[in-house]
Amino acid sequence: MISNIIPGLIMILTSFLLPTIPQYFRHPAMLLSVGLSALSLFNGYGTFLEWDVLGLNLIFYQSDSLTFPFSIIFHIAAVLVIIFSWHSKNLMEHMATLAYAGSAIGALHAGDFFSLFIWWEATALTSVFIVFAGNTKAARDAAMRYLIIQVSSGVLLLIGACLLLYQTGNHNLTVLDLTTDFGIFIFIAFGIKAAFPFLNGWLQDSYPESSVTGTVALSAFTTKLAIYALARTFPGTDSLIWIGAIMTAFPVFFAVIENDLRRVLSFSLNNQLGFMVVGIGIGTELSLNGTVAHAFVHIIYKALLFMSMGAVLYRAGTTKASELGGLYKYMPFTTIFCIIGAMSISAFPLFSGFVAKSLIMSSLGGMGMVLIYFVLFFASAGVLEHSGIKIPYFAFFAHERKSKVKEAPINMLIAMGISAFLCIGIGVFPKYLYQILPYTVEYQPYTIDHVISQLQLLVFAIIAFLFLVKFKLYPSEIKSTVLNSDWFYRKMLPGIGKPLFKKIGLLTEFIYENLRFFFRMILNKSHKFSNSSYIKVTTPSFAATILISILFIMLLIVLL
Amino acid sequence: MKKNDLKSMGKSFTKYILIIGALLILLDFTFHRHEYFSFAEIYGFPAFFGFISFVFIVLLGKWLRKFLMRKEDYYDQ
Repeated sequence: MISNIIPGLIMILTSFLLPTIPQYFRHPAMLLSVGLSALSLFNGYGTFLEWDVLGLNLIFYQSDSLTFPFSIIFHIAAVLVIIFSWHSKNLMEHMATLAYAGSAIGALHAGDFFSLFIWWEATALTSVFIVFAGNTKAARDAAMRYLIIQVSSGVLLLIGACLLLYQTGNHNLTVLDLTTDFGIFIFIAFGIKAAFPFLNGWLQDSYPESSVTGTVALSAFTTKLAIYALARTFPGTDSLIWIGAIMTAFPVFFAVIENDLRRVLSFSLNNQLGFMVVGIGIGTELSLNGTVAHAFVHIIYKALLFMSMGAVLYRAGTTKASELGGLYKYMPFTTIFCIIGAMSISAFPLFSGFVAKSLIMSSLGGMGMVLIYFVLFFASAGVLEHSGIKIPYFAFFAHERKSKVKEAPINMLIAMGISAFLCIGIGVFPKYLYQILPYTVEYQPYTIDHVISQLQLLVFAIIAFLFLVKFKLYPSEIKSTVLNSDWFYRKMLPGIGKPLFKKIGLLTEFIYENLRFFFRMILNKSHKFSNSSYIKVTTPSFAATILISILFIMLLIVLL
Repeated sequence: MKKNDLKSMGKSFTKYILIIGALLILLDFTFHRHEYFSFAEIYGFPAFFGFISFVFIVLLGKWLRKFLMRKEDYYDQ
């Protein structure tokens, strides 16, 4: 029986029941629902649930070698988020988080574009409540913008799916290309959620505004769902290589000057997605394996980094670099976990980032794509800069702290501990990760050439950092807002739109005023006319006069 | 002890990183490092590339502040 239930659905149903469950049993119930949903991982590959809706055959539950690794990591991420938020009593956020994770898992198992659309919108509608749960004015505003962008992505997907069905008669998830109009619609729909350059504003806008625990949940699902969707429908699309390369490089510069460390991590998230998008663009078995492996390890270390910054926010009340520093003394465990996350994302050998990123770099090298290879190599130095050094350095070191703070709550430490363990475990024993990848490829990440090359890059980038700090060339942290692509719809469009609508408003008012004047004149005239002594004899009233004149005008129009 | 904790930590960290860096460069002379592109096989190429990239990123980022940085309440105005 359990084999026919859509994975994730049980989590969504549980989320509806949460208000009826007493506070102390909520988190165990949430964990239990994730566990029940995870049983679907033992079902093997195939199509398990189809449904005929309005003459369309919708595939609600199918799984294959591509859904499998994503499904595993989404379940792991859900567990981590639940443990991390164990101390929290925010019911709305718990419900939203569980339903959001469930929807994302459901989306992975959709077999056609219409059922994908349903889950696509479900992830948008559930996750917006997580942004809301930030419970500040900034969070509520960001949530509204987030909702508009996410729903637009869904609408584009729906348009693409309808065009696809209309033009080809097929609506199953298949490989598409960019020569067709439906292909372009679907590509942009995925591109919004994957935070392509200039479509990325929503990510850095909303994620840092969410609550201590909410950002961890947000970081795991939406963007990786988009990566999964791209890997399924657009593998080997050349333009993705360029899009991905730009994605790896340009957020790096923004992250250098951003003051809010959770926003720095959001830029870093964007840069990591770039590596995965490049892997999809290359489209070989090795590179697609690289994308999936990178998504897998990325979810863990990115969650770990967001958790450590969440813990800092929870205890110190801010994640602004200009107000932090010296926390290593008071939060030693959080510091260590954060550094493990930082080393993983920077791809130090023996950490998880290394064994995943190597796959993508090797496939680029093997194809002889020299320029892209070095853009990504350059971006690796960038990752080290913002996530590897900036995050731990400004939060935990930089300078001594004056006021005391407590270490993170035990549940947060457990969640961070499990993530850190996974980061190192995967880094040391990559074969367990490689076993679940979509294609069987023999690959050895730990060759002496590769290890030395990567270590040289990283160690000398650290030396560059020390050099810059020593000579006071490293930019100091300043309280500020850094402009990003959300500027276009937060400042530029209102800047054009507001005066424009004001002008249009004035114009329409002017027209109305004149029309009103004109009609009043006619009314007055006809009133006078109907009351005059000539006409009173033949017509009974004012209304009749009006009717007669309207009929007369219509007659004239018809005759002319 | 209390005041100089961070400073002494920074100093010893710098010392160890420099030693590791020197070792990595020396190691490069002991074997032929195979790379996908022949120019990357020059001694210490990744080290040089990493150093230059890092400095470039930080300095360009700093310069970009002129165009991208606004006051903290920029969007609330």
